[in-house]
Amino acid sequence: MADERSKVADKPDILEKPDILRVPAPAPLVTFPVDVVVPEGRQQTPAVGQRASRADGRLHGLGQTKYIDDMYFPNMLFAKIKRAGVASAIIKSVDTKEAAAMPGVVAIITGRDIPCNSFGPSLKDQPVLADTRVFHAGDGVAAVAAETEQIATEALEKIKVEYEVLKPVLDPLESLKLETPGIHAPSANIYGHKIIKKGDVEKAFKESDHIFEGTFRTQMVEHVPLEPHATIAQWDANGRVTIYSTLGRITLGRADVGRTLGIPMSRVRIVATVVGGNFGGKNEITTEPALALLSKMTGRPVKCTFTRPEEFYASTTRHPLIMEYKTGVTKQGKILGRKIRLILDGGAYCSWSETTLGKACILSAGPYNIDNLEAEAFVVYTNKTMTGAMRGFGAPQVCFAYESHMDDIAHALGIDPIDIRLLNAFEEGSISPTGQKLHSVVAKESILRAAKMFGWNGMDNGNGTGAKA
Amino acid sequence: MVNVTLKVNGKTRSASVPPETTLLRMLREQFDLTGAKLGCDVGDCGACTVIVDGKPVNSCLMLAGQADGRDVLTIEGLADAEHLHPLQKLFEHFGSLQCGFCGPGVIMSAKALLDENSDPSTDEIRDALGGNLCRCTGYAKMIEAIKGAGCIMRGEQVPAVK
Amino acid sequence: MKRRGRGMATMWYPIGFTVAANPSAAVVKVNEDGTATLLTGTVETGQGSLTILAQIVAQELGIATDDVHVVSADTDSTPMDTGAIASRTTYVTGNAARLAAEKAKMTLFEVAAPLLGVRTTQLEALDHKIVVKGFPQRNMHVGDVANHARMVSGQPPIGAASFNPETVALDPETGQGKPFGTYVYATQIAEVDVDDETGETEVLRIVASHDCGTAINPMLVEGQVEGGISMGVGFALEEEILFDANGRQINPNLTNYIMPTSLDMPEVEVDIVDNYDPTGPFGAKGVGEPTLVPTAAAIANAIFDAVGVRVTSLPATSEKVFKLLQAKREQQPKQLGSSPASLPSGGNGAPAH
Repeated sequence: MADERSKVADKPDILEKPDILRVPAPAPLVTFPVDVVVPEGRQQTPAVGQRASRADGRLHGLGQTKYIDDMYFPNMLFAKIKRAGVASAIIKSVDTKEAAAMPGVVAIITGRDIPCNSFGPSLKDQPVLADTRVFHAGDGVAAVAAETEQIATEALEKIKVEYEVLKPVLDPLESLKLETPGIHAPSANIYGHKIIKKGDVEKAFKESDHIFEGTFRTQMVEHVPLEPHATIAQWDANGRVTIYSTLGRITLGRADVGRTLGIPMSRVRIVATVVGGNFGGKNEITTEPALALLSKMTGRPVKCTFTRPEEFYASTTRHPLIMEYKTGVTKQGKILGRKIRLILDGGAYCSWSETTLGKACILSAGPYNIDNLEAEAFVVYTNKTMTGAMRGFGAPQVCFAYESHMDDIAHALGIDPIDIRLLNAFEEGSISPTGQKLHSVVAKESILRAAKMFGWNGMDNGNGTGAKA
Repeated sequence: MVNVTLKVNGKTRSASVPPETTLLRMLREQFDLTGAKLGCDVGDCGACTVIVDGKPVNSCLMLAGQADGRDVLTIEGLADAEHLHPLQKLFEHFGSLQCGFCGPGVIMSAKALLDENSDPSTDEIRDALGGNLCRCTGYAKMIEAIKGAGCIMRGEQVPAVK
Repeated sequence: MKRRGRGMATMWYPIGFTVAANPSAAVVKVNEDGTATLLTGTVETGQGSLTILAQIVAQELGIATDDVHVVSADTDSTPMDTGAIASRTTYVTGNAARLAAEKAKMTLFEVAAPLLGVRTTQLEALDHKIVVKGFPQRNMHVGDVANHARMVSGQPPIGAASFNPETVALDPETGQGKPFGTYVYATQIAEVDVDDETGETEVLRIVASHDCGTAINPMLVEGQVEGGISMGVGFALEEEILFDANGRQINPNLTNYIMPTSLDMPEVEVDIVDNYDPTGPFGAKGVGEPTLVPTAAAIANAIFDAVGVRVTSLPATSEKVFKLLQAKREQQPKQLGSSPASLPSGGNGAPAH
């Protein structure tokens, strides 16, 4: 066995004689072409370090990967969610009679039907379906299951919701003020706070040759996975529900479904297939409990896929940040002290804000040796789309701030951006802002290697001329 | 209902569908060809790209009725019983796809390009893929694989990965 | 006129959750022919984690990647996983998978040792064989050992393990503590052309030097860097969710939410920094998120180098850069011509070649 395999591995299957394209004859669709060889990278030992191709790569190219929306079950219903469309409101009434009477509509539920209507990775402030209050325009207020997707979508129009519209708070700086009424009253608008203190930052500023300040802002963006959120729920006769979902955190999802519907975890099965992109946006439940309930009520499997607009306004987004930096340096560019204040726009619900707050705060000083540091971060509610986990959790935002700030300092002092970073960057054994001794540090190596690969030869050479004093 | 008869991957297929049904939904729901994906349903993302009468088309923008009598090629029609299409072979070999959702659409756009021009430049490839959004890969390994597939189709050696 | 600029950004990024427990569990079963199955609760979201985990298990068992079948993402049959989040899969789930494979391997060693006349501590697994260290000719094919284990010894080789990074809670007043098991470092350098009349930025080239500890699969690392940079370019220049005064999104669609297409991507050159982290599986750390962290900063710094304006808010759209350029011109005393010498200090981007 081993001998045959090493023979195949010697001949790279791609680079040997070229494969003349045959125009496919009108033949039955194939499930697996016969000639396919196991790629070399996957056959080599030792396995670590190989450019091994992915097992799902072949299936992707054949169009055979089954994503949730590619799955169809007999007797399946299709669900759609009615979205509030108002950013802040009290729900006075929900009238589903006309929608329920439509031919093809099989079941409708609202927030009242959810046994335990709250969830969240840390603060459980988010409802499965909004019940008494709406906190952002994408809040779901009802879920409809119908024979076709078309009918379900039309039924949404016929659901009448009466709102007492409230003035939304959209600016995080507005929300930060103590006199602004609490969006999630009685909870305060500031729902998270983090502080890092090291050394004596005011003393460091007094000893600095120069002080630099800068304020930076970043915007709300969306993950835009090519595959929209999708879920299918179905029960068996033993009272077990199987939920197929694009959900990334299935263990947490199972706990959430169990808790919101009041059923033991042993009766909940969550299955994820290959997901068409997550980037942080599919890491908490969305429609799963609602679909499970609709499926139970109707005795049929129920599928729900988000529309592309729902991906934008009904799923999590990246926290916008306001970042204030003050840095004291010597005239050679060595950082003596840094003071940072971060305000995170925390959207309508907490979601992954606690993690984002913590990471943004810890990372905000940059990969630099700073003995005197004060970094303080706040996250506040606003009536905008909930902000949650998105690739980087605050790091891309603070990096934009601290690296723009660093270049401003370098330019003012007439120092090459490379040199000022080499002067300050972490090394093996450096102490982080939280007092952790760092190991396996290659910050300076990455700077030097990138500079060499780019052709960054000092301040006046190569492409671009760099800043000049 | 409208009655539609067309050629799909070389075979004559028929369906009777509501008039507002798109070609995309007919392929997925009537013919079980779920390779073409629903990413936005309004022609912005290209995940639904198929080839109709030799041209790449957003199948979510074409009504099933408009496809009547036409010749449609989907991702499922590329490989034959013996071989993967060179695009499929190299997309796998170079790791060009990650989540794979945009894959069928990208490959169909690439096939349409290579059928017309088997030696495209990087810019021509970027142009051909301009209507296919991908969030995972940054397109880099797709471009490499498309160039390599062009080599195979021209009967030349595929250059090794840089 | 187009002006060329270059800008750099360096970053650090942690692996795993902040302080909080984020364990992963894994089960490895060795089949009677020496191939294996890995059970993991992680969900493949496109980054290639299942391939990486197969490579880690294969490495531990001395077999090939293709010999390991990965079963994932079913709460009924796969052990818990905290999720493919915080760039933790290679490090945390990878460590769990390696430990599980090691346990299964120990059963193979226990069976092979008496057959080879040595102690278990004298054995290693490589190239499909269980081998006596220092005497490679004294070996047994892993399939023969696995078959013997099951059929003769009655000891099916199964290993189950979990891993959670070591952390120390942060002091509420000073933030001091050990929030993460490890961090990664990276630098990106961007080369841009900025049109000083329209404010439009074109990113020509990005060089990215990334640390991921041991690169379990360099091809997949490159894929992450190239993909992350595409997200970073969008974050830097184009993407923004806009709200009206009533708090409703104005552009919840892909026509008006502008994200990078194949036409917007720069040439990307990827460099993987040689590194080894002893706390990670075979020295590996992670790479999923870090790849987009420094991109916007590098581009913003390159814009400053090209046309001397500092963008302090993202995205750096043409309109924004155009307004900054206008404001800058209004502050200057009248200049004759547009030669570099007449530009004020602060970014004297040479005209693009």
